[in-house]
Amino acid sequence: MAADKRNRTMATTMESVSASLEDYLEAIFHIVAEKQAARPKDISGRLGVNNSSVTGALKLLSEKGLVNYSPYDLITLTREGKTVAEDVVRRHEALRDFFENVLAVSRPDAEDAACRMEHSVSRNILNRFIDFTEFVEVCPRGGTKWIAGFGYYCEHGSRRANCERCISRCLDEVRGKKPEEKGAPRMSISLKDLKPGQKSRIVKVGAHGGINKRIAEMGMTRGTLIEIERVAPLGDPIEIKVKGYHLSLRKEEAEGILVEVV
Amino acid sequence: MTRKRIVVALAGNPNSGKSTIFNDLTGAHQHVGNYPGVTVEKKEGACRHDGREITVVDLPGTYSLSAYSIEELVARNVIIDEKPDVVVDIVDASNLERNLYLAVQIMELGVPLVLAFNMSDVARARGIEFDLEKLSRFLGAPIVPTVGHKGKGTKELLDAVVAAATRKTAQDMPNIDYGREVEEEILKIAAALQTEASSADARHVRWLAVKLLEGDKNVREKVSRTVQEITEKSESHLAKIFGDPAEIIITDRRYGFISGACQEAVRSTVEARHTMSDRIDAVATSRVLGLPIFLGLMYLVFHLTFTLGDPPMGWIEKFFGWLGGVLETWWPKGSESILKSLLVDGIIGGVGGVIVFLPNILLLFLAIAILEDSGYMARAAFIMDRLMHKIGLHGKSFIPMLLGFGCSVPAIMATRTLENQRDRLTTMLVTPLISCGARLPIYALIIPAFFPGRLHAPMLWTIYIIGIVLAIVSAKVLRTTIFRGESTPFVMELPPYRIPTLKGILLHMWERGWLYLKKAGTVILGISILLWGMTNFPKKQTFDRDYETQTRQAEAACLDDVRGLNSKFGLATGSDILVRAIQAELDMAAEQKKHHETEPGFAEAAKRKDAAIEALGRQDGGDRLMKFLEVRQAIRDARAAFDGAVLEKKLVEGTPGYFAARSGCDAALANLQKAEPEVYAAAIRYLDNIRSSFEGAAEDVAKARQAEELAYTISGRIGHALEPILKPLGFDWKIGTALIGAFAAKEVFVAQMGIVYSVGEADEKSEALREKLKADYSPLIAFCIMLFCLTSAPCMATIAITRRESNSWGWALFQLGALTVLAYVLTLCVFQLGSILGIG
Repeated sequence: MAADKRNRTMATTMESVSASLEDYLEAIFHIVAEKQAARPKDISGRLGVNNSSVTGALKLLSEKGLVNYSPYDLITLTREGKTVAEDVVRRHEALRDFFENVLAVSRPDAEDAACRMEHSVSRNILNRFIDFTEFVEVCPRGGTKWIAGFGYYCEHGSRRANCERCISRCLDEVRGKKPEEKGAPRMSISLKDLKPGQKSRIVKVGAHGGINKRIAEMGMTRGTLIEIERVAPLGDPIEIKVKGYHLSLRKEEAEGILVEVV
Repeated sequence: MTRKRIVVALAGNPNSGKSTIFNDLTGAHQHVGNYPGVTVEKKEGACRHDGREITVVDLPGTYSLSAYSIEELVARNVIIDEKPDVVVDIVDASNLERNLYLAVQIMELGVPLVLAFNMSDVARARGIEFDLEKLSRFLGAPIVPTVGHKGKGTKELLDAVVAAATRKTAQDMPNIDYGREVEEEILKIAAALQTEASSADARHVRWLAVKLLEGDKNVREKVSRTVQEITEKSESHLAKIFGDPAEIIITDRRYGFISGACQEAVRSTVEARHTMSDRIDAVATSRVLGLPIFLGLMYLVFHLTFTLGDPPMGWIEKFFGWLGGVLETWWPKGSESILKSLLVDGIIGGVGGVIVFLPNILLLFLAIAILEDSGYMARAAFIMDRLMHKIGLHGKSFIPMLLGFGCSVPAIMATRTLENQRDRLTTMLVTPLISCGARLPIYALIIPAFFPGRLHAPMLWTIYIIGIVLAIVSAKVLRTTIFRGESTPFVMELPPYRIPTLKGILLHMWERGWLYLKKAGTVILGISILLWGMTNFPKKQTFDRDYETQTRQAEAACLDDVRGLNSKFGLATGSDILVRAIQAELDMAAEQKKHHETEPGFAEAAKRKDAAIEALGRQDGGDRLMKFLEVRQAIRDARAAFDGAVLEKKLVEGTPGYFAARSGCDAALANLQKAEPEVYAAAIRYLDNIRSSFEGAAEDVAKARQAEELAYTISGRIGHALEPILKPLGFDWKIGTALIGAFAAKEVFVAQMGIVYSVGEADEKSEALREKLKADYSPLIAFCIMLFCLTSAPCMATIAITRRESNSWGWALFQLGALTVLAYVLTLCVFQLGSILGIG
């Protein structure tokens, strides 16, 4: 209940502080943390804005009672200002960590996105972000390796076919066996996800239904080099060059064919 | 023994040029049929070589012998069961590895094999060099290089065939080594097989064992439970070792064998570069241009089919018209001979009506043959597959459905390109829902009669769209109910583009056209006679109304009016010479109806009339009579000249040409009027009032008689009997009768309605018929008629062709029944709902 009430008061305060003013509060908070007090020059340097806009913003903030400010004096946060600033910073950090650790986004990108999102995310959602980050790190079905897998997933898109390999590797680890790794592990991906012009080597023909044999009989056997020629105008069947001739397959049929890009 | 006829089976991949070689070998000595029980085409031909008779059996083109499709099973069964003396495998040398896969399987069967390396010129141009001797040793079969479309190598091929057939010792054929683990399992299964049937030779047993391991259902069904169990054990054992099913391992090893052989005996001297075909495809199947090019080509096919086909259609129509005319002269004019009616109306009318479409159909088949032989057909399927797959069909189904807009018959014949039987039947069954050209006359009659001008185009469009939607929905329903199952995989070769040979496409066209003609000669002939009988029998002998008296009454009324003309141009009121002259004319017309123009009776009647009029001319007031007749003739001539000019020069009202003809006619009439105003007025009155109203009355009587006759016939009675069933749809017996006629051919509906409504020879432009329809039916009923005609039982030609193509009366009758039921239910819903809502 108490937390709820606090949330509500926070929300009203936040509504009265615009997004850019929040940036000022945040900047002041960091400067104060470093130097006890802030000067307009510090603020303009940190935010990359000119002095006159800093003066205007400071006037607005002091009117709202968030900063102690008078011209030519040092600037500090009021008690209320400090609460708002701390909240903004907390949101920023939580978002940044989520982007960086869970979504596998690079640090500068994560900072940048956090800066822009921190103003609009509500506290409830923010708490969920924080909880989820912790859950992922703790849950045995998750773990850091799983997160790393997500990064790979994001780079290469969805493919079921890799699951088998991943799970067996996972089981190997659980059983204490070291997964066999020859140099850089080359992940095999589904033929469906290759782009026109990409050349690859077939690793396994494992399509669903009884058409494996048909596909194999058309020359799509293990180790064969193939090249994606093109995708049909309406986006479905794809054309593959194999053993010197052209073969067409639907994407659903190509899905089960694992290949290594060469 | 040595003079025995040699039987050669021709095997090969699709697109390997097999049919070209077959044509080279056999020339015109071909026989096309079907393999018993299946719809796979069977072609046989014969030739002579070295004084030996050779029979060539063309096997269906396949990539493998795994019994994956009916074609593969048929090809395999012919090789195993019919034991041809030699199997010739046509190999596309420019695409060697995949083509050799089939060769290796034939080799495993252990039959005498000769390989024809076809398109060896293409292969050489691509810089591929073969060590034929080495390859021949690897594969255990002689190899003959050929160039099918130039007829090169045919003689050498026949030499090799004769040599292989007459060889004393068995051909030494290598076995493929499937690797230690697989070979162990093969031995186990072979041992089990051997104990059960000791007589089989070792090679065949090994083949059976391999096929069992490959999971071949056809072979598996034929072996005992024990063998099946051993096979299953072996399979799971191999799957554990390799992580792949045995069938994949075996395919892998076969390709391994092939690439091993190719590595040693084939050398590619030029780096693979983009061929002409690749460059065409870069445009023809590109994301941007692929669809427009496809649609453009389809439009072109349609356009050519219907525009180029028009003139010969006219000739055929004329020919049948002439033939009917000639036959008619065998009987006296106006004869009611049943035989004449059967020949002229039944047989020539029915069969002629179907043969008229032959030019269209031949052109369509020509276009399809060109598209197929050039390799574009596979691209069309490639482009359309996404759409067709959504309704559970294969990309190749698109072409037949598109052709359905022209005529269902060639459309259903075009389903032959579909490999999967389920896809084929589905496409065949729903194609009649696509509104064909023959249904257009029905819409053209009804829409202008019931709907205002601004609704014409939207109405027509709606009907066509309803057809398309129904076809799509039905296809989807069929694929999820009766023809449920995995949709056919789209594992399809896109063969290189080739310039089709004239001989090839003409043969293709002719084969299919011939089937169509044969159908016209058999099934359609039969149904035509049946329908003719139904609309002609039983003959009504005593009529409800006395038409003879009615005709005479009309005649008397006419003559009465004529008598009234006497005073108008200075003839004595009591004079009967004018009446007698007109009477003489009417008598002549009645007499002439009984004779052909060429018969003496025809001219004699005219002579009698002339003599009678001449005699009348000498009587009192004869000069006035002659004047009257003369002026009347002059008016007729002037009008006829005008009509003739309009018809001949196709003049349109409002154009200068039309105006000139018009004013010429008016001037002539004005001159006549000036010279003899009284006579002119009387003649005009005679022509425009008396004569025309008499003709109208006589025609009405004739039509009423025709209508009564039709109501009495079987189809009229069926129409009446159907009335209770058709009532809920808003239809009466007249529509019922016309619908029976529509079964012969959809456009007959219009003619039949014309007869029922006694407006004589009606076509879709008949305003008289439209007026009568408007008086009897509401727009809602009119819409229901169109809906019913669109959906209901396709015409007899469609049913006949479905029977032929599906090889079963069952499917043909199912199509007939299901579509009729669909039409009934749909129309019922629309009519009842519309009535409740108060539409129309």
